Amino acid sequence: MDDKTERKKTERAGLAISRREFLKYSGIVVIGVGFGGCGNPNGVAASKGYLLVDTKKCQGCQTCMLACSLVHEGFESLSLARIQIVQNPFNTFPDDINIAQCRQCVAPACLAACPVGALHVDKFHGNVRTVNKRKCIGCKSCITACPFAPARPIWNFQEVYAQKCDLCASSVFWNEQGGPGGKQACVTVCPMKAIQFTAEIPVQLGDEGYNVNLRDKTWGLLGYTTE
Amino acid sequence: MNGYAGKILRINLSTRERSTLDTKDYEQWGGGHGIGSAIFFDLVKDKSIDGFDPANVVTIMTSPLTGTMALGASARTELQGIGVQSYPIGWFTRSGLGGRFGVMLKLAGWDGVAIEGKADQPVWIDIRDGDVQIRDCNELTLWGKDTWESQKAIWNYVAGSGHYGTWYNPRSGSDARTTQQPAVLCIGPAGENLCRVASIIHDAGNASGQGGFGGVWGSKNLKAISVIGTGNIAVAHPKALFEARIWAIENFTFPLNTFDASKAMWATMPSNLRSFPSPLVTWERPKQSRPQACMGCQAGCRSRYNPPLGNDSSCKESYYYSPSQLKVPPSGETPDPQKQAADLAQKYGINVAELETGILYLRDLYKMGVLGQGKQIDCDLPFDKLGGNEFIEQLMEMIAYRKGIGDDMAEGFTRAAERWGRLDEDQKTGLLNNCYWGLGMHYDPRGSLEWGYGSILGDRDINEHGFSPLAMIPTLTSEKPVSAEDFVKIFSEKMPPFEDDPLMLDYSDGNMYSEHMCKLVAWHRHYSRFWIQSALFCDFQYPDFFNWAAKDYKGITGEGEPKFYHAVTGKNLSFAESIELGRKIWTLDNAIWTLQGRHRDMVQFADYIYDKLNTVKFVMPVNENGQWVYNPVGGRLIDRAQFEEFKTRYYTLEGWDTESGWPKRSTLEALGLKSVADELESKEKLGKE
Ligand code: SF4
Repeated sequence: MDDKTERKKTERAGLAISRREFLKYSGIVVIGVGFGGCGNPNGVAASKGYLLVDTKKCQGCQTCMLACSLVHEGFESLSLARIQIVQNPFNTFPDDINIAQCRQCVAPACLAACPVGALHVDKFHGNVRTVNKRKCIGCKSCITACPFAPARPIWNFQEVYAQKCDLCASSVFWNEQGGPGGKQACVTVCPMKAIQFTAEIPVQLGDEGYNVNLRDKTWGLLGYTTE
Repeated sequence: MNGYAGKILRINLSTRERSTLDTKDYEQWGGGHGIGSAIFFDLVKDKSIDGFDPANVVTIMTSPLTGTMALGASARTELQGIGVQSYPIGWFTRSGLGGRFGVMLKLAGWDGVAIEGKADQPVWIDIRDGDVQIRDCNELTLWGKDTWESQKAIWNYVAGSGHYGTWYNPRSGSDARTTQQPAVLCIGPAGENLCRVASIIHDAGNASGQGGFGGVWGSKNLKAISVIGTGNIAVAHPKALFEARIWAIENFTFPLNTFDASKAMWATMPSNLRSFPSPLVTWERPKQSRPQACMGCQAGCRSRYNPPLGNDSSCKESYYYSPSQLKVPPSGETPDPQKQAADLAQKYGINVAELETGILYLRDLYKMGVLGQGKQIDCDLPFDKLGGNEFIEQLMEMIAYRKGIGDDMAEGFTRAAERWGRLDEDQKTGLLNNCYWGLGMHYDPRGSLEWGYGSILGDRDINEHGFSPLAMIPTLTSEKPVSAEDFVKIFSEKMPPFEDDPLMLDYSDGNMYSEHMCKLVAWHRHYSRFWIQSALFCDFQYPDFFNWAAKDYKGITGEGEPKFYHAVTGKNLSFAESIELGRKIWTLDNAIWTLQGRHRDMVQFADYIYDKLNTVKFVMPVNENGQWVYNPVGGRLIDRAQFEEFKTRYYTLEGWDTESGWPKRSTLEALGLKSVADELESKEKLGKE
């Protein structure tokens, strides 16, 4: 980020911090990351909602991405979608598609890395991990800290701040109530029902807790594997 | 207009000049094909040139709805220009494809691309948002590579040190990022060798086949266009768009979890809003597979497999080399030749619609002792291995590299027959089953009247399934869901301005050439030109007349299309107005064909359509003495003299000169096309009032 951009961001956030201060702050917030259990020794409350996906059921239509950007930004974008579908048509099933949804980690490395508390637990929306864009200084620490590829916090390069999946708590371009207690646009539109909401904390270690089997009897009747 | 970025990329390959056209100047056309035709009209001064002439302009257009959640209208891209496949003249034509190219183009800030000229050496175009580079093929040794290897090479190049599936910056010095591969349109060896049957391929199985645009690109020394976009697509009413989609899904498609085998077939048939993700393939689908969809589609019509053979291929690609099509026993070979044939067509970039009738023609000539080793048409194709891998591999290579009689076949089978001195005879007997403009029969004009008439009055096999359910549903159901009268009404009431004339849907022998039938053909042309080819709704889903999931079986058509168009663009375009806009586009296209040299005398099917009865019969609604009944239709031919009368009636309905088929000034001016009338007049091609 160049100085001009940084200044723009810090001004907008109402923060008068210099680059030196910014670096100083960046070491302050320390939360344990990388453990696999459900509890959190550092006291960050667990999210009351999670997205589960079934990469074997996904048809790669990317409607979830179009819906995500539409309800959050009011326009269509793939780069700003908070769920990312990546695929390679030449690959072998099931390695041809990957769904990258935010895991709302119990111990969120992104939150731990944010030097200004912009990435925070939103108590009003079921503890979803989200970014206060007015506070974000655009340092991308959250993006770098995310242990998953592609990083789940999204860099909004157009407006120069980070944003991430909030389970549609801030879906201002949608008539539905979002957030852990409401609906999620990607779950609502996924034609394959390959994305599901759960209030239960998935197993944190590895992918199994988040990439699950959502294929029912119908799926088998259509001639696809249910295993 | 919302939905559009506002500019169209114009590239002159001869001068390597890049410029822009203002989308606003073409907005009146509504999108896609309408804009493409208008740009072509403006940029190509002499429309009588050959498709291989460097002055030919190929447009690649999106719709305002491309890349949005508009159901069934997010993914298609429309290619136009003078084609090289049709016979005797390569008409100004079109060919669309799905996937994600159009979406990426719009996200890069471009509503379309217009290509003109010819590069001095093979090049590809590298579009990264607003940054457009014309690159020589040498660095990646692209020329000579098949379409899949070419795309992979371009992907690697654009990623630089980045990796797909993680965030990377496609433009150095910019923070703009994406996880996605560029979308690439690409020709294979067939296009490079100027085959008239060469297609343009995108990803594994999206193809722009008809027209031979692959060969046109080859003649321009254009190997590929790659685009990666990181921008946005503006939507006028985001909330309304979301709600429209949910409304369409809830009211016009079956829920995925209420699978009912009897309904599933209908819910996956064209033209009907698709409900279930069931690929249109004729090969056995392994369980280890998934459905795969174009961008924004609710029910994919192709698959990805383990092993990855036949990925993203469907429909014709899947059956043109099937044992049932070839009437041979399964070869039992591994890999499965049927899937291998699909992949080969995609990799070489060869149009399977041409091969579908072409291979049968070769087989029959071989059986007659005319074609084969040492025969009059000498070739060493192993006909004893028809249906196996060796045959199809050799055939593809012959065509793509113009080896032996492959040089003739690369011209298309109609021109090949001409070279072999067989065209007249084989068109009389129907041995060569190419019935309109030298192109392979898809639906039979003698039965599927709207299909046949639409194709011969236009430029190609229309490949529009909108009225296929009119035959399919009564034919395939033992118990009819509604009376013939109600069935017809469901269609006709969605067909303004002809909604009061249900007789236009009477396919009986006595109605084949009537004024009523003219209305059906005209409506179909006008609807398709706007909604299918300009707004770019998928033909497999629209028009949706009779819908098994909908209340009273009344499909989404008429209400759905304008609802989505309004939500995205903000424009209140009524359905009736949209059909009128389609008429304007259709008339402009006819003006272009006129300038290319068309006259009504040329508008003729191949001889066998007039001389031989067709064998297929469909059960269809027909009007007998004022009563609608379901009756078998078929076993008939088209009468030459009565077809002439039909043309006269049709031209009258369109406001075209009945003597020549050329558009009249009064018609053009009423449509706001005065400059088109002026150009026709200057070339002495204006229809008489
Ligand atoms: S909407 Fe569903 S099926 Fe389509 S890409 Fe997203 S997860 Fe896959």
